[in-house]
Amino acid sequence: MASASNLTKLRYRFIPDHVIGEILSKKWIDNAIPFLVLLCVIAVFGTLIPNFFSASNLSITSRQLGEFALVGIAMMVVIVVGGIDLSVGSNFALGNFMTLALLNLAGWSVWAAVPAVILICGSVGLLNGVLVGYLRLRAFLTTLVTLIIVRAIVDMLLLKYAQAMSMSFYQSDLWDLMGLGGFFGIPFSFCVLVVVAIVGHVLLTRSRPGWRLMAIGGSRRSAHNIGLSVRGTVCAAYTISGMLCGLAGVLYAARLSGAGTDTGMGLEISALTAAVLGGNSLGGGRGSIVKALIGAVIVLIMTNGVLRLGLNSGSGPMVLGLTLIFAVFVDVRWLKNRDKLLNKVYVSPTYIELPEPVATSASSGTAFALNDRLKHVEIIGLAAVESPEDVILDEDDYLYCGTRHGDIVRFAPPDYTSHEVYAHIGGSPLGMSWDRDKNLVVCVGGMGLYKIDRNRNVTKVTDETNRSKLSIVDDSRLRLADDLDIAPDGRIFFSEATIRYEMHDWPVDALESRGNGRIICHDPKTGKTHTALRNLIFPNGVCTAHDGQSILFAESWACRINRYYISGPKAGTLERVLDRLPGYPDNINRASDGTYWAAIMGMRSPALDVALRMPGFRKRMARRIAPDQWLYPNLNIGCVIRFNDKGEVLESLWDQGAENHPMITSMREHKGYLYLGGITNNRIGRIRLEGRNEAWSGYSNYWGGRDGERAA
Amino acid sequence: MANALRNFVDRFLGRGEAAVTVPPLDGALKPNSLLEDAAFGLRVPAADNLVATGEGLVYSSGADLHRQPPCGGPGMAFRTLGAPVSALAVSSAGILAAATGRTIVFTDTAGRDAAGLSAGNHDWTGITAMDFAHDGTLFVAIGSSKNALDEWQRDLLDGGQTGSIWRLDPATGRVDRFAERLAYPNGIAFAPDGNIIVSEAWQKRLVQLTPTGRIAGQVIEDLPGYPARISRSARGGYWLSIFAPRSQLIEFVLREPAYRRAMMAEVEKEFWIAPALRSGYSFREPMQGGALKQMGILKPWAPTRSYGLVVELSADFVPLRSFHSRAGGRRHGITSALEAGGKLWATAKGGDELVAVALPAEGK
Repeated sequence: MASASNLTKLRYRFIPDHVIGEILSKKWIDNAIPFLVLLCVIAVFGTLIPNFFSASNLSITSRQLGEFALVGIAMMVVIVVGGIDLSVGSNFALGNFMTLALLNLAGWSVWAAVPAVILICGSVGLLNGVLVGYLRLRAFLTTLVTLIIVRAIVDMLLLKYAQAMSMSFYQSDLWDLMGLGGFFGIPFSFCVLVVVAIVGHVLLTRSRPGWRLMAIGGSRRSAHNIGLSVRGTVCAAYTISGMLCGLAGVLYAARLSGAGTDTGMGLEISALTAAVLGGNSLGGGRGSIVKALIGAVIVLIMTNGVLRLGLNSGSGPMVLGLTLIFAVFVDVRWLKNRDKLLNKVYVSPTYIELPEPVATSASSGTAFALNDRLKHVEIIGLAAVESPEDVILDEDDYLYCGTRHGDIVRFAPPDYTSHEVYAHIGGSPLGMSWDRDKNLVVCVGGMGLYKIDRNRNVTKVTDETNRSKLSIVDDSRLRLADDLDIAPDGRIFFSEATIRYEMHDWPVDALESRGNGRIICHDPKTGKTHTALRNLIFPNGVCTAHDGQSILFAESWACRINRYYISGPKAGTLERVLDRLPGYPDNINRASDGTYWAAIMGMRSPALDVALRMPGFRKRMARRIAPDQWLYPNLNIGCVIRFNDKGEVLESLWDQGAENHPMITSMREHKGYLYLGGITNNRIGRIRLEGRNEAWSGYSNYWGGRDGERAA
Repeated sequence: MANALRNFVDRFLGRGEAAVTVPPLDGALKPNSLLEDAAFGLRVPAADNLVATGEGLVYSSGADLHRQPPCGGPGMAFRTLGAPVSALAVSSAGILAAATGRTIVFTDTAGRDAAGLSAGNHDWTGITAMDFAHDGTLFVAIGSSKNALDEWQRDLLDGGQTGSIWRLDPATGRVDRFAERLAYPNGIAFAPDGNIIVSEAWQKRLVQLTPTGRIAGQVIEDLPGYPARISRSARGGYWLSIFAPRSQLIEFVLREPAYRRAMMAEVEKEFWIAPALRSGYSFREPMQGGALKQMGILKPWAPTRSYGLVVELSADFVPLRSFHSRAGGRRHGITSALEAGGKLWATAKGGDELVAVALPAEGK
């Protein structure tokens, strides 16, 4: 039994299951299946065809690829925006003919001819664009028409000029370089493709026009509704497509220097196959340069390979057709099931064995013994605030709390019956602290760290930190900044509870109980933010110790409180202050007598403790049953404890019925009262404390008060 | 082979037998709070097993027998037996049978021991329900031969199928086994045609036994909770008490042997992931995601381990209407229900209450 549990422990330590869900949530995972197909195709034809990997064959193939992939990209650009361009083949043939005609017959230079051809082909694209984009004709029919018309024009021109063209011959070094040479042994056309691909990728993924293209393809109506110029963008996509076809035609002309009636015949089918095989969705909105390239390579290798294998004439298109139907099938299945799969595998619990909790029964005699000291909590702002995770008071006794509507609400002393919205930040304001200049620094779930100055101006302090090298999810953004405190030197230490879940899903992190959280430090002097500690289990409740040399923080799901030294001789070390807690600790704040208050936001249930040792059980549970039915930590009742620097718990305050003030995530001592906040509550609580320092307030304790009393 | 493969695939994908599905409370079972809001509630610790006698309703509370006039008004304890009473039955001749500990005690309706009646030498432990047949024999349901009555949750988690039905002739003391290998028989009633209706709790169904003890078929299956006792309604149908709700989590735990074993070994039984007669009394009970209070309110549709539900069935076992006490309510763990004096009486064993709901006159 023990060895089995050790095995489980090791298995969960070294096999990172959570990575599967994170990879699946990445956009580039769409390329996985096309890429696998590509590898298979290369492997199959590589073994079937002799000399497949020889330098000369690779050179020839990549030169062809240069042209074909450009046409593939042309097709992709149109597909992404939700259309289709059947005229790419004819346009390509037109480009080829015009290049040869301008060079051989008109005697233009390459520098003049190439841009002219690109413009001519672009104008064919523009025609498509105007018809489809502005006049709202059907893309399929329109481009079918241009396919036929342009093909007819090319045929008529060929009839007239073919003989004259074949008599003359254009000669220039640049032209030879384009057709036969290259750079560093890489064919010219391939270099062009690389440049176009890189520029295109950056444009499509990292620029406004690219995003608009994707948005329109994804949902035309929504794009229109948010004010994008749908018509213009669609028109532009067709124009770009035409220009890319022209460029491909130029390269083809440079390679073969010949124009025939079969030039570019059936190219639209190959390009369409390439685009779809690569994983570009025919419905639009989902596509990339990489997908187009993968598709182009697959199609080119297959058509060339079938040719070289010497199969009879029908087999080439047959292979292509079969792969196309396979690709469409996989594409549809993938699109339909990817999110389902992601939903099922994202929650990935790990092994955690919690130590036996301290007894809480009233007769146990421990500091945790149940009592009803919180039963008669005074209620402030009932139904006026929702989700006050943290509360804080200023020197003038005003009471502040965050709400789930993104407001900071302020209650006026002495009776706290009137309230106003002090500032609106957005997100879910959580932990709060005063800095030396009486600015309110707030952790905002979903946004980051914000500051409200005394004139109520809201400014962002930071919303990112350094990205860790091996993390798959982008952990440079702050998803769930949770609680903060400020060191005497002004550095802000704050916790991010989890990097895997958003604000409203935070209890799900308890099912995982992995070290998904971290402590982050922001230094206002340099403006830099860096991650101080990683792999913490829902870190929460940061509090600078009374001596200012360390911070205390809770690891909620591990039911313990730690100390991290930030200055002095032990700077950088981490030690355990308190563990075996019977519940999940949340915010920690200073008490007036040199000790600390900690909120216990929920209690452990033995059935969950057993499940924590069985990650497989929790994983299956997350897959099999609805989230509402999952076994959760009991967050409906909690308590407040007071402990000292040595890690001794001195007292606990309970409300066993949890009727009056249901849940506690935070508490502040202020002038003889204890103020309570709870993230699922619609109220704030306060209770009079007996025998405490009636002049003590948090701000003066941290930064020295009006009375000049500076805490030791 | 094909079967084993299919089972494996089912387990992997969560289909077929491995699917965790619970029937919704819908149609006649649509939730309401009629039981929770009923005006009459009498505080009775561990109220259980109502029967109707000529002199009023009789029910048990621990080892005591209480009498309650059906018109309302105060009730009283009239007999104390040595051990907690687990089941009651009354014959048409006015003989009251009470299962206590290892024996069955026969009294008249005033509580005086009935002479000449005997329970034989049989070891009567674990009786969950009893009923007199028309000929005066007593049908006795034993929930489990493996687990004691207060270990019923263990019996469920172990997949108990060791329940049995016995026939006792009190006049002679002769005992014979009528049916066996039942999954916790928890209620007995007689159909007008002489068939015996038995609620099989862990199978979530009612079965019909022929007078020879053969299972003739299930008359209602896939109930949304675990059925308890059955009584006849004034309209020729039945009242079925459902003492605990099914939930996806419990169904899931039933399919997880390793976790179940560890939980039963290490955790006190009131904190198991198992149906319960009452819940919400300790923070160490397991909590499910939907039961997280928001703004201080527990949603009534939250997942819960205990529930209060009485269903009226037609003579053909079609649910007609139901009375609920939902998540967060007090009147949970209904073990028996009875129609008398125009009211529906129910014992909430989990909520320690005897509840009476006024029934609307004919129809609804």
